[in-house]
Amino acid sequence: MELSDWELVQRCQQGEIAAFQELVVKYHRKVFMVVLGIVNHREDAMEIAQETFFRAYRNINGFKGGSSFYTWLYRIAVNLSIDFQRRQKRSPVEFRETMDDLMDKGEGAKLANDPYVDVQGREIGKRLLAAIDELTPDHKAVIVMRAIEGLSYKDIGRVLGCSEGTVMSRLHYARKKLQEKLGPYL
Amino acid sequence: MKDCEVIESSLGAWLDGELDRSEAERVRIHVQECPSCLGEKERLERLQASLKGVLEGGASGLAFEPFWDGVRQRILERKPWHARLWDWARPAFYPQRLAWAIPLVIVFLLGILSLEQFFPGWRWGLNRGNVAAVDSIDGHGFNVAVFRESKTKTTVIWLFEDQEDENESSGESASTDSSF
Repeated sequence: MELSDWELVQRCQQGEIAAFQELVVKYHRKVFMVVLGIVNHREDAMEIAQETFFRAYRNINGFKGGSSFYTWLYRIAVNLSIDFQRRQKRSPVEFRETMDDLMDKGEGAKLANDPYVDVQGREIGKRLLAAIDELTPDHKAVIVMRAIEGLSYKDIGRVLGCSEGTVMSRLHYARKKLQEKLGPYL
Repeated sequence: MKDCEVIESSLGAWLDGELDRSEAERVRIHVQECPSCLGEKERLERLQASLKGVLEGGASGLAFEPFWDGVRQRILERKPWHARLWDWARPAFYPQRLAWAIPLVIVFLLGILSLEQFFPGWRWGLNRGNVAAVDSIDGHGFNVAVFRESKTKTTVIWLFEDQEDENESSGESASTDSSF
C-alpha cells in the first residue's frame, strides 16, 4: 500500500531515512524540472535540486502538515533557484552549458518520428528556452510550475508567498512575453 | 474589439480552469464566436504544450541513483556529531518501542519507594533532616493541642469533640421544640 506524503513525512520525523528516500523518488524529477526551468543549466539545476532535498530533510521536523508537502518542497526549490539566479547575475560565468546546448545535442528534446517535426520542435524548444531565460525569476517560477505540475494558482501563490491575483497577472505577462518571442513558431 | 481585449486577458486563466463558472461561460461563448480569440486560445495551448515538452525533455536523462547519492552525501556530510549521535539513538524512542519503557519506569519507581522497607530510616535523600521538632504541647484546658515547632510556626489541632455534651444539649432543644 502506498503511503501518503504526510505519513512518509511523519516517518522521516521519526528518523526513517528510507521514508525520505521514497519522497525523493516521488518528487526528484518534478523538483529538478522546476529548478531547471528557472536556472536553465543542467548541472546547476542538479546541485540546487539536491540541496532542496537536503534542506527539506534537515528541516523536516519543522513541517507540521499545514500545507501539502510538495508546496513546501517547491517553496524551498524556488527560493534556492531564485537566489542562485540573482547571485549569477552579479557574477556571470563565462561559459555555461545551457539547455540550448542540450537541445543541440538532442538530449533536451523529445524526438519525433518525422524529421521535419523533429527539427521544428527543436527550433521551438531552443527559442522557448531563450525566451524563458529572459523572464525575471518570479515570472519563470510561475510559468514553470504551471507548465510542469499544473499547480493551481492557489498552490503557486502558497509556494511564492503571493496572492492568486498576482499569480494570474504574472502568468498572463509571462505568456504574453513568450508568445511575442516565439511569434510565428506557435 | 474591446471585449476581445478583456477576454484575451482571461484566456490563460480560463484554460487553466481558474475562472469562476459565470466568467468561464462568458469566455467560452466568446471564443466560440470570435475567430481571433479562438486563434489566440490555440496559440496559448501550443505554448503550454511546448513548455511542458521542453521542460520534461530537459529532465529526461535524470537518473534517480546518482541524484539520491548526492542528497544522501549532503545529509551525512553536513550533520554535526550530536545530530548523528541522536539519529543513532533515536530509534529507541519510537512510540511503538516506548511500550517497554513505561512498565520499566513504573517498576523502577516502585523499587525506589519500597527501599525504605529494607533500609529503615532511608528517605531517598529528599526529606532527610526534615523531621518536625515539637517544642511544646499546650492544652490550655480546651480540646486543642498546640504544637510549636519554632518561634514562627505553630500548628493547632482539634483533638476531639465532647460528643455527649453536644448530644444532650441537642436532645433538650429537640424536646423543647416538640412541646410547642
